[in-house]
Amino acid sequence: MARPHIEPYVELNEPFKKFDIAGFKGSHYKVLSLDVDTGACTLKVRFDGGYKRKPGMSYSDVEIFVLNGTIKVGKEKWVEGHYAFIPAGVATGAIEVPQGAEAIVMYNDGEPTFVESDRNHRLALTAASKAFNTYVDAPWAPGNLVSPSVASGCLIKVLHYDPLTEAISFLYCMTPQFAQDNISYHDCAEESYHIWGTSWMMQFGDLPTGGYFWRPPYINHGSFRCKYGTIAFGRTDSKLHNYFHYNPWTNPDENKLRAAAKLYRARPELYQWMASDGHNHPHGPPDFEFADYQDDSQVRLLHGHPVGKSSGARKKKARRK
Amino acid sequence: MAKRVQDQKPARAKDAQAWLTENIAEQKKRFQAIVKEMEELGPEREKWVEEFLHIVQTRGFNADGDRRVIIKPEQIAKKPKGPHKVIF
Repeated sequence: MARPHIEPYVELNEPFKKFDIAGFKGSHYKVLSLDVDTGACTLKVRFDGGYKRKPGMSYSDVEIFVLNGTIKVGKEKWVEGHYAFIPAGVATGAIEVPQGAEAIVMYNDGEPTFVESDRNHRLALTAASKAFNTYVDAPWAPGNLVSPSVASGCLIKVLHYDPLTEAISFLYCMTPQFAQDNISYHDCAEESYHIWGTSWMMQFGDLPTGGYFWRPPYINHGSFRCKYGTIAFGRTDSKLHNYFHYNPWTNPDENKLRAAAKLYRARPELYQWMASDGHNHPHGPPDFEFADYQDDSQVRLLHGHPVGKSSGARKKKARRK
Repeated sequence: MAKRVQDQKPARAKDAQAWLTENIAEQKKRFQAIVKEMEELGPEREKWVEEFLHIVQTRGFNADGDRRVIIKPEQIAKKPKGPHKVIF
């Protein structure tokens, strides 16, 4: 069933567990969410002072957001607010944590894996690598990067954009006294970790510092309030579109039908083509621009197709019928 | 077919499978605890919903950004029977 709906989950009062998998020994973790089929997960990891790891790579795309402390990675120093996207197979330098650090660590395609290596895997898509400090090197922008948009007072820094799935990783903040009086849902799964601050949603109540959610598609959330301000790290697994409404009682099936009805009205040719006989492409139709897109791991996972040794059952079961 | 690094991943190691099994079990418990907590929030949520429906009919509903639309009473949906489920 992929990742279940985890919302809200406040991890601060939960204990860390010893990380006993090869390549992670000497660190501790908390699972924030976990895909039960593929092992893809979001973890909060505590690297104790003195933690060291040799150069190496993972078989999964990895994202890291440093919450506090200093992590030496090769010749770089990653500090509070540092974000990295490390494609599967890209070797990172030796890691050293002299005085302890905490980070949100995300494995997108499978369970945490580590292979000692000082060179990239021959198939690694190295161009997608990035590492920068989000607090220093990325400006806040208005939250209206999609339309319809959030209300004024919700700002965003896009950190990573996947051109195939249009998934984004981002920082967002809500100003003090932020309010948005609508109910929202999306076609994508949405994830958030509150770095600092408390916000409120009508369904789930307060989400404080250390609060987390993984929300599958088409689930109502909002209206929204934030009294004193919040800064958070967020992600989607595909394109974010805001479907706003004011019916507090709809369920994900009804919301999905409403989204499909919008497609029927707004993109009639495409809808008719997709719905007609003979155009049921289970692995996606050809795309002259992205000829190999069907092989992309995230695209495959989104459609419940196998990746590596995973069952490929991920989204097929999780997404609402 | 373009090969990807993910396809070269060796079979899951025993320690990784044990890690996964343990954490899946814990996540199930966590999910149940969240469901219970959200059910207990029901009476308070009822009041929040009432307040929300009042706001959208007076100050308006955020249709896009800061653009507000006042909702007429006849446009408000009737509350269905049964519990208001928020976790799926």
